[in-house]
Amino acid sequence: MNSRSLARRIAIYGGALLLAFFWFAPFVLVIIGSTIPETNLTSFPPNWFEDPPNLQTFDYIFTGKIPETYEQRGALRSMISSEVRDVPRAILNSFVVATAVMFINLIFGSLAAYAYARLQFPGRRFAFTFVLMSRLIPTVAIAVPYYLIVQSLDLINSFWALIMIYSVLTLPFTTLVLTLYFRSIPIEIDEAAQLEGASPWRILNDIGIPLALPSIIGAGLFAFMLSYSEFLFGLFITTTRERRTLPVVLGSLSANTDVSWNMLMAGIVIGTIPTLFLAIPVWRFMVRGLTSGAIKG
Amino acid sequence: MSNQQQGSRAGIRRGLSNPALAGLLMVMPALVLVAIFTIWPVARAIYQSTRIESPIFPPQYVGFQNYRDVWGSFYFRDAAENSLLFAAVTVPALVVLGVMVALLLNESFVGNTALRIGMLLPWALPAAVSGLIWKWVFLDSWGALNAGLYSLGIIDTYIDWLTDTDLARLAVVIVFVWAQLPLAAVFLLASLQSVPEELYSAAAVDGASAFGRFRTVTFPGIRPMLVVVALFELLMAITNFDIVYALSQGGPGTATTLLTYFTWAESFRKLDFGRGSALAIIIALASLVLILILVRAMPKGALVEEEA
Repeated sequence: MNSRSLARRIAIYGGALLLAFFWFAPFVLVIIGSTIPETNLTSFPPNWFEDPPNLQTFDYIFTGKIPETYEQRGALRSMISSEVRDVPRAILNSFVVATAVMFINLIFGSLAAYAYARLQFPGRRFAFTFVLMSRLIPTVAIAVPYYLIVQSLDLINSFWALIMIYSVLTLPFTTLVLTLYFRSIPIEIDEAAQLEGASPWRILNDIGIPLALPSIIGAGLFAFMLSYSEFLFGLFITTTRERRTLPVVLGSLSANTDVSWNMLMAGIVIGTIPTLFLAIPVWRFMVRGLTSGAIKG
Repeated sequence: MSNQQQGSRAGIRRGLSNPALAGLLMVMPALVLVAIFTIWPVARAIYQSTRIESPIFPPQYVGFQNYRDVWGSFYFRDAAENSLLFAAVTVPALVVLGVMVALLLNESFVGNTALRIGMLLPWALPAAVSGLIWKWVFLDSWGALNAGLYSLGIIDTYIDWLTDTDLARLAVVIVFVWAQLPLAAVFLLASLQSVPEELYSAAAVDGASAFGRFRTVTFPGIRPMLVVVALFELLMAITNFDIVYALSQGGPGTATTLLTYFTWAESFRKLDFGRGSALAIIIALASLVLILILVRAMPKGALVEEEA
């Protein structure tokens, strides 16, 4: 019995270590990589640590001061990697777009969800199903028409186009989750307010929203995160460097075969930090919302 | 005069608090936005798919020619095969690994919480960035994996992770699993924890082995969630674009060109919107059929009945 439980502990810790290595090693490598001078990084046989690691890549991204090792290779090199300097602005761009999408989700989403959950109106069932089903169309299938629509509205390279598209892509999910949540609130509370003569608007504002606030905020953050991460639409709607979102800047750098990788990695490190702060609240909401509300175990 | 105004205002207020009208008004903003951006694009895609529209040729109606061209094209077949293969490998892998990770996280060990929180990161990262991080790991010329294996003396020459057909495919699979496994594991963990404890004790009393307990208690308990996870991951696998774009650009050759990447390249690289739309409609129909088949195949009661 004892040796069996020992074997069990070994298996558990072995598995946990393996998982931790699989999940975290790439991050550690990126952080290390961002501090190693490019000549060492590309050397063969590899000797990454021959020269001391430094933070010159980060310095370059924020101040434009060209790292020492680059000077040996001339101005061309620094020109090629200057796109990395777009990262801070790209974070800001992504932030602006995602914040707008979040607010649209908060307002439109909770209004619609409350109505689907509580009010009787013609076409309710159809509208609800339609909104949910709209997300079953693969995004790549509507990419071309979206592009043509945006083009005809003269909104290419505009944040408005991204905000509209991301709202359409996130609203169905927000609506679903919030509808399920509103349904889980005891209806007696609504009925009592109704007897007092409160209108649906008042009930939503005074009772529904305060009760559902954690879920509403969670859904909003989730919409934020999806918008912050979206790549496909960002790629073809933004056409100038000033407007590119974070995934687009980093993604197009990776397509550049002559990119300086320690720079790129510094860009990744900076770009990942906002995600870190969002991950935990969004995750909590996701796990709670999807495991308790929608799906019976 | 003012009395009349007051009266009509009260009337409006009464009208607005009519539940049916209030309901319609409340759903309208979201509904209109979603409807416009669903019906118009789909109609437009269908229209587009029957025409030649590219920068080189004059616009022209061609009927089903684009569909025939796409369907008969070697590259379409190739991309469809790649996508099927990709889904056939990643979905079962994610379900099996997801169960294993969930079982592991259900045990108590030092660092359990750290692992649970830490695994948010691969999940929360933009997929394009995940592809990028791993591109450096796999890079043929001086990637971290090659450098590491070489320094440890395991290999003498660098391995062409991203230029060898099979290895490049494997790389895309690994990155996808890396990014998707946290979500699969956490959903399965939540469902695992909802299996009543008494069932396990009862099985133990009956003298069931660990495997027996899994088969008779755990598996039936988490089966609905297994189906949900499999469905979700299938959709994610079919629509995977960002990772391919950042990691391999569909290469070497067309080895990692999945349908979504192919559609994108056809439309935005070749600017052939007609064919791109035909292709998109074929993909949309195919995934719809796939979803319907899976929903049909789902065990009864896997999802709570929608009582909308």
